[in-house]
Amino acid sequence: MKWTAYLLPVLFAGILLIASVRKVRVYDSFAAGAAGALPLLKNLFPYIAAILVLAELFEASGLSSALCSALAPAFSFLGIPEEIAPLVLVKPFSGSGSLSLVSEIFEMYGADSYIARCASVVYASGETIFYLSAVYFAPVSGKKPIAPVLIALAANFLAAVLGCAFCRIL
Amino acid sequence: MNFIFSAVFIAAAALLLVRDPAAFLPAMLEGAKNAVGLCVTLAAVYAVWLGILKVAEDAGILRGMARGAKPFLGKLFRTKDDAALEKIAVNVTANFLGMGGAATPAGVSAMNLLGASERARYSRAMLFVFNCAGLQMFPTTIVSLRAAAGAVSAYDIVLPVLLASLSALLFGVAAVMLVYGGKRG
Repeated sequence: MKWTAYLLPVLFAGILLIASVRKVRVYDSFAAGAAGALPLLKNLFPYIAAILVLAELFEASGLSSALCSALAPAFSFLGIPEEIAPLVLVKPFSGSGSLSLVSEIFEMYGADSYIARCASVVYASGETIFYLSAVYFAPVSGKKPIAPVLIALAANFLAAVLGCAFCRIL
Repeated sequence: MNFIFSAVFIAAAALLLVRDPAAFLPAMLEGAKNAVGLCVTLAAVYAVWLGILKVAEDAGILRGMARGAKPFLGKLFRTKDDAALEKIAVNVTANFLGMGGAATPAGVSAMNLLGASERARYSRAMLFVFNCAGLQMFPTTIVSLRAAAGAVSAYDIVLPVLLASLSALLFGVAAVMLVYGGKRG
């Protein structure tokens, strides 16, 4: 067992202990909090559906693999091995998709290889930006801002480029 | 976002017309099905975490946490809204500890609360970019995956990941300040 497995039970029990000592009606309080889950999802679902439908079309049409092979030379110029170009492109769209790409890379090149280490860094230092933007900006009424999404994409790309460089020297 | 959506949608539809028109509707339905599945999972995750968060809130634990982090977070996110700062403190801490399950519900309700603050656009952009940098103390998923794949030194990516995320975060924060900092927003 890793130590992280102990973190949550201890944390949750601690919170409930403190709450009980401070005479919080814990059962009612928990229920009141959980009640917020479904209304929250009612707001999120339309945007998540729109994004995931688009992500699926992007994948199924071959648009994503076409984009990958078009961008591979630019990637290798920046020091990103072209084997992980698909990962860099899929990561903003899909966490589970990129995780399956990572495990394919581990199998193909070995988990200790330079390519596998780069893939690990790209996976761990990036986020599923389009999914997060759907979730985080769902409560924002009216026009959804685009600048934060572009900034986040640029930041993640920078992390990928730097991460591959760090893998070479560290 | 509207432009990207139409552009990618039309390009994908056009490509599928040439390659495999029959795959068009199944692909869309598959995407929607993923969305339903994801929402069911999220409903469970949110029920647990929002429940615990409410207990922590009622016990005054969140207020304590936020009080410690408030001078710094308040300045960075440019808001004086206490309730929003509490949720931001939870969001940032949970992300750093790698508990994405706790981070998202807190982050989304912070986005909601920030709507009332006068620099909502700046604060929301900052919170979003913060979450996208994915700064994590210890990348549990990927280290476990590497160990499972038989890596000899599964931990040797921890430092590169930390440095890469940190640079992404600094870049993102600077960019948000540049784009939104000057305007009242």
